[in-house]
Amino acid sequence: MVLKIFFPQCCNRADSGLLVGRWISGHDSAVVLAVIHYPFIPGQVKQYIQKIQSQTGEELSVLGSWSLPKDGEEGMESFLKDLSTMFPQRRWLTVHRVMGKTGFSCRVTHRDANGQTIQPETKKKKEKKEVEKADGENDGGEEQTEGEEKKEEEEEEEEEKVIFVHYEQRKVMLSELHPIQNGIPETQTDPPSELRQMFHAVASCQPLYFMDKYDDGPLKSTHWQTEGREASIIVELLKQGSVPLCLLLGAMLSVWTWICNIRLFSLSPVRFLSSKLSTCVQLSYRTEHMKTLSSTKQAKDHTHFMSKANMVVSVLVDVALGLLLVSWLYRDDHIHMLANTLVPAADHVAKELEQLLQWLMGAPAGLKMNRALDQVLGRFFLYHIHLWISYIHLMSPFMEGILWYGGLSACCGLTFALSLLSDMVALLTFHIYCFYVYGARLYCLKIYGLSSLWRLFRGKKWNDLRQRVDSCSYDLDQLFIGTLLFTVLLFLLPTTALYYLVFTLLRLVVVLFQGVLHLSVDFINSFPLFAIGLRIFRSYRLAEGVKFRVLCEEPGSALHLMMDINPLKGSNVVQTYRTPTYSCYPKDSWLALVKKLFVGELIYPWRHKTTKTD
Amino acid sequence: MGPDGAPSPAVPWRKVLWECQPFPDNYVDQRFLEELRRNEGIRQYRYWAVGLLSPETLLWTSLVCSLLGYGLHRAWTSEAEPGCEPRTRLADLQSAAIFLSFTFGFSPVLKTLTESVSTDTVYAMSAVMLLAHLVSFPYAQPSPPGSFSLNAALFASVCLASRLPGALHTFAMLSCALMVFALWPCLLQRLRENAPNHFTGLCVGVCVGGVGGLGSQSPGGAVLLALALGSVTLLCPMLLVRLQRHKDNIQGPWDEAEIHEDLSLFLH
Repeated sequence: MVLKIFFPQCCNRADSGLLVGRWISGHDSAVVLAVIHYPFIPGQVKQYIQKIQSQTGEELSVLGSWSLPKDGEEGMESFLKDLSTMFPQRRWLTVHRVMGKTGFSCRVTHRDANGQTIQPETKKKKEKKEVEKADGENDGGEEQTEGEEKKEEEEEEEEEKVIFVHYEQRKVMLSELHPIQNGIPETQTDPPSELRQMFHAVASCQPLYFMDKYDDGPLKSTHWQTEGREASIIVELLKQGSVPLCLLLGAMLSVWTWICNIRLFSLSPVRFLSSKLSTCVQLSYRTEHMKTLSSTKQAKDHTHFMSKANMVVSVLVDVALGLLLVSWLYRDDHIHMLANTLVPAADHVAKELEQLLQWLMGAPAGLKMNRALDQVLGRFFLYHIHLWISYIHLMSPFMEGILWYGGLSACCGLTFALSLLSDMVALLTFHIYCFYVYGARLYCLKIYGLSSLWRLFRGKKWNDLRQRVDSCSYDLDQLFIGTLLFTVLLFLLPTTALYYLVFTLLRLVVVLFQGVLHLSVDFINSFPLFAIGLRIFRSYRLAEGVKFRVLCEEPGSALHLMMDINPLKGSNVVQTYRTPTYSCYPKDSWLALVKKLFVGELIYPWRHKTTKTD
Repeated sequence: MGPDGAPSPAVPWRKVLWECQPFPDNYVDQRFLEELRRNEGIRQYRYWAVGLLSPETLLWTSLVCSLLGYGLHRAWTSEAEPGCEPRTRLADLQSAAIFLSFTFGFSPVLKTLTESVSTDTVYAMSAVMLLAHLVSFPYAQPSPPGSFSLNAALFASVCLASRLPGALHTFAMLSCALMVFALWPCLLQRLRENAPNHFTGLCVGVCVGGVGGLGSQSPGGAVLLALALGSVTLLCPMLLVRLQRHKDNIQGPWDEAEIHEDLSLFLH
């Protein structure tokens, strides 16, 4: 049997005393959390441990004794031997270290229910095939290492092998083992692993670390606090200042929510409009975030804390970038320049569109178009462009004002400015959207008509009940009219298809541009900057696992391993801590998109999820 | 030089009569024949007159023929088996009204359909479609015309009709095509049922008419058509009958059992 003892590094040079910690259930291991120094009163120790147990809910106990004899402390050995009788445990560890030697030695004694020591059974020594970790050592006995022959021993007893795994207590206390399990233990089918239990034990025994050997308490203990690390003043100030800030934020939010819930805004067309405008969506999203942030309760667990921290950082970054934009925009009369270039740009686009339509109305690329239909469609779209140009010219005096007030929205964050830009682009290219819808509907109608009439041509019919194509005997007039219409539709197909193609391409360009804007907004919203920062600067806080390296493998003492924390990979960090957003991602795969384009269905390639369904 | 060889003096001749010129009155110079105009304003006669088949003529002819055919069809249908429900006169009138109105309404659109398609494509499409019509025609039971064959024939006629110069031409041609492809087989079916001798005579007449019509345009085509008709009507059946004697099907006790289900047992 191999016994693993997790030993904190800070206690390597602690004075002799008692080992306090926890046995890990289900595994053969123990975690040492602190060393309580001699002199102590056993009754007070028991009281203290009871108090900590009730505060944390962890099963703390005295694991054993630790002796590091310094000069002038002889006779400690016998004292420590008697200790085991004062603290009745199933197993008692006696760990002994000599100054100058790196290795420890440990002896494990078992007790049965009556408190009598059980002698370890005498067993013959056998050669074993072992993995590198399995070597253990007792004091007084020599063990054989792998590959060596049998030696004659004085004590031919096989005792438990002990491995000491050293860990840095402060780092393990602050670290969070991934994948995070937030569930209640009853719902889990298998018990948590040894490592998880160990991390949990170290992290949850916070009250144990309040008193150390420099305090004036009845007990003096050594743990990570004794290494003397200063807390950061800034963090403390922030913690103190955050409470009134949260209260202020909460008050502002309640006012804002009250405004939003005015009857006027819950009318159906207003609601429809606000669900389509990305600025309103972004506003509601940020309001949700602020609501989470403005609660004054501390975060319940690690995930909650990380999401709050990510939100704060994201908002701060957003506002900083927005202010940068504002400082650039309002300087050097940039707004005026922008307004002056916007209307001529729109004019230019309209002129290009008109030229395009004139080209289509002729013989574009040598294709054979039906002249009458061509002229009809071309004139219709030209009239639309004329309407739109008038609308732009109507708006041009207000353009500068709009831009000025719109630029102010960047103070709330860059995401708002980008959403506003996306909305403005949508409004300015509304005519392209209209054309696309007309062309697509016409084309879709034509395609459906053609497919249905082609079935009539062959003498078949679509059976809606059975969802299949069946043969059907048509009447003479149905046949006649069907063939006539089929011929008409077939010969008019190239014309409509060309218009549809041209306007779909234009629409796709606009959609692509809007998609880029939305993706960048989404990126700013959801990227977990705080988690990435934590990963870079304090990588031990996000642990994926541990790695061991051998510290000391002397033949006369136990095996010592150093446990280092394996930090989480960057991609895993992003995946785990990504803030859920109304994320903007392509709704269909490429194949489905192409199929939709071919048939003429209207495409809205970017889909927005609401936060509620997330 | 003038025509009677008088020497030309130094003064040029001008075509005026009020001046006294040294030329004789009937003198002409070498520019005489430049003012010759031949065959001015005479009427061009052609052998096949252009106005032979105007759309109005075609319309009236087809109207008369269709009424005649309708009357015949009605006369023969009333003698048919009393099991099936005959169409009422009103339904027939409704159908006719739908045909005429739709065709008339669509003919301007149909006229412009193949404007930009080249002639070769149109001819090729029509030929393929008419071939498809011939292949898929339900020869055994032509009375309700088969969907695909009728549709193919109508498609071909629409393609051809869109080549004509006027909307009325298109309408006339489409009505004629409808009559020929949709109504004529029904009439023939009735004729075959009721007067088989006349049927044979009519068939021969139609074949001769077809060959003659084609011959007016291209004699080679007429010869080919006659050959094709002859082989399909006379040669192939003779081959079928002649080759019967080479048939050699054997059956015996090694055949799989076939169950002939007699469901009439379950009807009572």
